[in-house]
Amino acid sequence: LFLRESWNSGQSITVRQGSALQGPRVKLIEQAAELYSQTKDNSFEAKAAEEHAKLLKVQQDLEAATGQPIFVDSSISDTIRTCITLGNNRAAQRIRTDFKVPDKRFYWLKIFALATIKNWEALEKF
Amino acid sequence: MAQIPSLDHAPINLVALREQAQKELIQVLSSVRGKKVLILDPKLSGPLALIAQPTLLKENGVENLYHLSADPVPSECKNVLYLVRPRIALMKLISSQITQDNIQKLQKSHTLVFCPRRTIVCEKVLEEEGILNNVTILEYPLHFIPFDEDVLSLELDTAFKETKVDGDLSAIWYLARAITLLQSQFGVIPNIKGKGKAAVQVADILTRMQREQNPDTTAAAVTPEIDTMILIDRQVDLVTPMCWQLTYEGLIDEFLTLSNGAVELDPSIMGITQPGVKKAKVPLNSSDKLYRELRDLNFGVVGQVLRNKATSMKQDYNEVTGGGPQHQSVSELKDFVKKLNALPELTRHTNIAQHLSTYTTKSKFLTRLSIEQTLVEGQSYDISFEYVEEMIHRQEPLTSVLRLLVLLSLTSGGLQKKHFDYLRREFLHAYGFEHLFTLSNLEKAGLLRKQEAKNSWQNIKRGLKLVVEDQDDANPTDVSYVFSGYAPLSIRLVQQALKGGWKAVDDLLKLLPGQSFDKKQGVTPDHGVPSREGSVREGSVTSDSAPAVDGRRAVVLVVFIGGVTFAEISALRFLGAQEGMKYDFVVATTKLINGTTLLKSMVEEG
Repeated sequence: LFLRESWNSGQSITVRQGSALQGPRVKLIEQAAELYSQTKDNSFEAKAAEEHAKLLKVQQDLEAATGQPIFVDSSISDTIRTCITLGNNRAAQRIRTDFKVPDKRFYWLKIFALATIKNWEALEKF
Repeated sequence: MAQIPSLDHAPINLVALREQAQKELIQVLSSVRGKKVLILDPKLSGPLALIAQPTLLKENGVENLYHLSADPVPSECKNVLYLVRPRIALMKLISSQITQDNIQKLQKSHTLVFCPRRTIVCEKVLEEEGILNNVTILEYPLHFIPFDEDVLSLELDTAFKETKVDGDLSAIWYLARAITLLQSQFGVIPNIKGKGKAAVQVADILTRMQREQNPDTTAAAVTPEIDTMILIDRQVDLVTPMCWQLTYEGLIDEFLTLSNGAVELDPSIMGITQPGVKKAKVPLNSSDKLYRELRDLNFGVVGQVLRNKATSMKQDYNEVTGGGPQHQSVSELKDFVKKLNALPELTRHTNIAQHLSTYTTKSKFLTRLSIEQTLVEGQSYDISFEYVEEMIHRQEPLTSVLRLLVLLSLTSGGLQKKHFDYLRREFLHAYGFEHLFTLSNLEKAGLLRKQEAKNSWQNIKRGLKLVVEDQDDANPTDVSYVFSGYAPLSIRLVQQALKGGWKAVDDLLKLLPGQSFDKKQGVTPDHGVPSREGSVREGSVTSDSAPAVDGRRAVVLVVFIGGVTFAEISALRFLGAQEGMKYDFVVATTKLINGTTLLKSMVEEG
């Protein structure tokens, strides 16, 4: 068990230093999630790695859609903010449900994002 | 360059310690003949500035000084001298620079100086890069750097993380080595007390090093100048560094970052408004008489002290100008002029204090402070939990959030299970999944955990009287003034060790991580008993050591393994200044820290 754990972290480190090539990186993270889930104590880590892989895919799609390389490697909160700032509320909502973002956090993000683009009207309505 | 602190009033001869370090630096520099360019590990330049003036480098043939970076060396000089910490990342940089030089067929000679010593890992890297045979390798055994009359530091900034997370014990070894050298200069320290795993480790290595030394040349021949050494593992008291330091010096460190005995100030703070003026480095140590007076005070009273000084100076001025020359004796004038000399210091500290108060009067600061204080009192888990949650949601600065999260975990015996997973998940969502490793580092170091056993903080708090009510910060009678009501756990341990010993609080000590011990080593030569280095007796020794007989106060060396905060140093100075105190304190540590810098070392960069 010990060995596997150290191997896990080793694996994850390669993931972290991951290349710019996104495809293999997602795969590596998925592998890490798999490994984490094989031990009982690492269910939290397994879940996190799973979500990480999912996030990277969503971010790649967003980058492809917007043509702007500003999503990959930002956090979930950052991604939601960026979406709202760009006026893409639908994407923001989708991430919100996909990753089960609690309302409290979502509203803070929305407020910050709307304030950034000085969209006072929407802020008022909200 | 930072001004080197005067060490004339130190309880032990630290000047000798610094001169030794200078001598060895000169030795290293002169090992390369002729003119040379010195390339310095950026992490070392601050500490070195406390050892030697820049002129010392020039006198020894250093033409140019650069910081090691990825850029090529902008110098034609044939002799290149690297002075670095043994870190792998740096080896890669150096290798690429040297390889570059070799490709261009520049006939340069490269010397690589490791501080404090070479490591096999680093040499291995050099070998792999194929340059091991192209460089001369030397060592510069820099150990304790005197930061002030009563503060020594190794300045190993990741010591805590390395020992607790990575299981790398080299910092422990360096520390033991430094203490051994200290003992060879100031004599074998008769009494050693310690608490925590790292304290045990250091004591063990110390014993081993002593056994290995040749008995004739050892410290045994020197009359001990240091009476007692108290080793404290930072892990024993992690609560203290997480709290905002409320002393003048502590606040300067929290808001303006005090590094290597100096602070960099924006010209606007100093009241200079013209543009283009660069940041000024202001040395802060006890050579500045006013700072010496102010540094350990609770910030709440600093303003008042400054005001009083200014008023009395104004009065003096009025007397001098109003009285007419015939009423003034020359000596009175001389006194006045002397006081005027203190004017730049007064202005400087008034400016700094004013700048700090722009932070401390903010409601955000006050709210945070009251949250911290209720946490330390062991109350209001729920309110604090919600506060941390909101900080994460608002994506406030990473280390600021972690500091409170850690404090919450430490004082509640861990986070409740549902909160533990929830907050960790929220944290990853807000700051990125790469911080999974940050979280796991925190757990390994005992900074963050899930509630399992009973919360022992209440017992510890009560048993050691950590929370003191109705403290007058202006006229403190207890060390708790440094945190406006919270007495640092680490300092309480020191107090207990010197008064009554640790036996009396055995039950409480058991609640804290790691073993505690109390032993004697060597025998003072006065007794004519042949010295028995290495034969350390465990326990059973009366812990209240006798103060020195010749009326001098006994010196107590307090060693914080894993870092010490300025507020804790202030608290020890306060203790030392108490009436009837039989001890002078000297603080030694691996690094001067605050909660933010400690946590920064835990954060994994993505």
